[in-house]
Amino acid sequence: MQRSLLRLTSPRRRSLFLFVMAAPAALHVAVFALYPILRGVGFSLFQMNLMQPWLHRFICLRNYTDALADPEIRHSLIVTLIFTLGCVTAELVLGFCLALLLWPDSRFNRVATTLMLVPITVTPIVVGLIFRALLDPSFGLIGYWLVHAHLAPPQGLLGDTRTALPTMMVVDVWEWTPLVALILLAALKALPSDVLDAAEIDGADHVRRLRLIILPMMLPALFLVLVLRVTDVFRTYDIVFAATAGGPADSTNLLMLSAVKQGLLFFDIGYGSAISILMTLCIVLMAAVIMLTLRRMDRRFNES
Amino acid sequence: MSRRTKGSALLMQRSLLVMALLVFLAPILWLIMTAYEPSRAIQSVPPTLRFTPSLANFASIASNFDLPRLTLSSMVISAGSTMLSLLLGIPCGYALARTRMRSAILLAYAFLAIRGVPTVVTLIPFYLFMRQLHLLGSWWAVILMNATLSTAFVAWMMYTAFRAIPREVEDAAIVDGCSAFGAFWRVALPLARTSVAAAALLCMMFAWNDYLNPAFLTRAETRPLSVALLTAFGGNTTSGWGTLGAMAHLSTIPIVLAGLLLNRYLTAGLTRGIH
Repeated sequence: MQRSLLRLTSPRRRSLFLFVMAAPAALHVAVFALYPILRGVGFSLFQMNLMQPWLHRFICLRNYTDALADPEIRHSLIVTLIFTLGCVTAELVLGFCLALLLWPDSRFNRVATTLMLVPITVTPIVVGLIFRALLDPSFGLIGYWLVHAHLAPPQGLLGDTRTALPTMMVVDVWEWTPLVALILLAALKALPSDVLDAAEIDGADHVRRLRLIILPMMLPALFLVLVLRVTDVFRTYDIVFAATAGGPADSTNLLMLSAVKQGLLFFDIGYGSAISILMTLCIVLMAAVIMLTLRRMDRRFNES
Repeated sequence: MSRRTKGSALLMQRSLLVMALLVFLAPILWLIMTAYEPSRAIQSVPPTLRFTPSLANFASIASNFDLPRLTLSSMVISAGSTMLSLLLGIPCGYALARTRMRSAILLAYAFLAIRGVPTVVTLIPFYLFMRQLHLLGSWWAVILMNATLSTAFVAWMMYTAFRAIPREVEDAAIVDGCSAFGAFWRVALPLARTSVAAAALLCMMFAWNDYLNPAFLTRAETRPLSVALLTAFGGNTTSGWGTLGAMAHLSTIPIVLAGLLLNRYLTAGLTRGIH
């Protein structure tokens, strides 16, 4: 009697079981992610520097208005936006080309796909350091020759305010293009082959097939890659910190570097939190814009 | 298309791929090489690739760093973070995939959104939180921090994986006398093992390679390799590149090899994890 009752799979028992399965993770995320985020929002409304605890007071949105008026933060925002736009565009274009090259199934391509994973797995701090060493103007294997051929400024590509940001973009593109290529490759391989065959029989050439059939069907994958890369590039820290630490003269000082500097090195918790929450708002805004644009594009392609 | 144009197209495609691979692999190979290069050779002007190999850099890191301790820290942090994330994330993903509640999808999206928040937002309050709990500087602080990000990610990934498994398979097991947990443990989980492997590998990679969280949450005795790598230089640019190469043998090559060996799962994880 007792046993059969236990085994009874009533909907209520079922939902209780599922609730118990989900609860630990939800609780963990609530305590260790949601609670800190909410506290961060709280901190951002206070003048709060751990080095000057006697000055703590509620200042409402002053940290936000200060951040938006701060020339360093404005500069960081512009640098971050240029960095994000440049990196994501280059990664999407190059990644798509790579995916197309890797698309035909062969032994050679399978080996190449595997080796393509290497940059993704390397520790980002190491990536930053490798390029810092290679591009060094006095002993770097690439940097020395570039400077001597007058192709780079005498302080090296990472030492000049004009070239440091584009160079860091190249480093980010080097690290993450393979990821974009692998995700797009998986999407290419999932395309229904009958549609592609039909298009080939109908005499559609390569370019038209790509533009009219492959690209529209790839939209969901492109959207995911775009959101993933935009949100990740916008908060880049490790590679830039290791390669230039934001310099020279703040030319590569991304928002994430500013936020960490204010919050965790200067202990200006209120101001640092405000900057990071502004960053989160930017990320949410960009993700929403991408989502809406792609949904509209998707609808247009499917109707016509 | 004639056979000849097809052949030249193939040649073109392969040579482009070889060039791309050279660009992607050469910097890593250079790094590995510097480890065997005496520091004077690294700074030779003009720089060359010719040198007499030596193991001096390895001797130097062994005497300057407590390597077993650093490696242990890295291992404890990545294994702990991975286990905790899987333990919390897998059952949660299962529950989200099986519930009939409409709002479950919202929770799944909330988990995904947590992944999008920049680390620094949580890091500042988390740092103070850990200080209050007297966990600052311990391995636990980093493990708990990594697990928040990874649990959300694992839950999302397993949610999509379990949704792809038809319910009927489990219903049959329940009719045969399996408990609700048994249906999950003995039927659904083995069917989703590829995704579990992918999730585990990605959690491990993230925890092993992460710099920012352990840099602020650990102290000298609990520091992992990724943090030691940078402090090894201390901004000194004229020496220490050979030491970096030697350190990278410990810190970077294991995770790269793991990625290469388990690449099947890694690609599955990278592509499914975001769908």
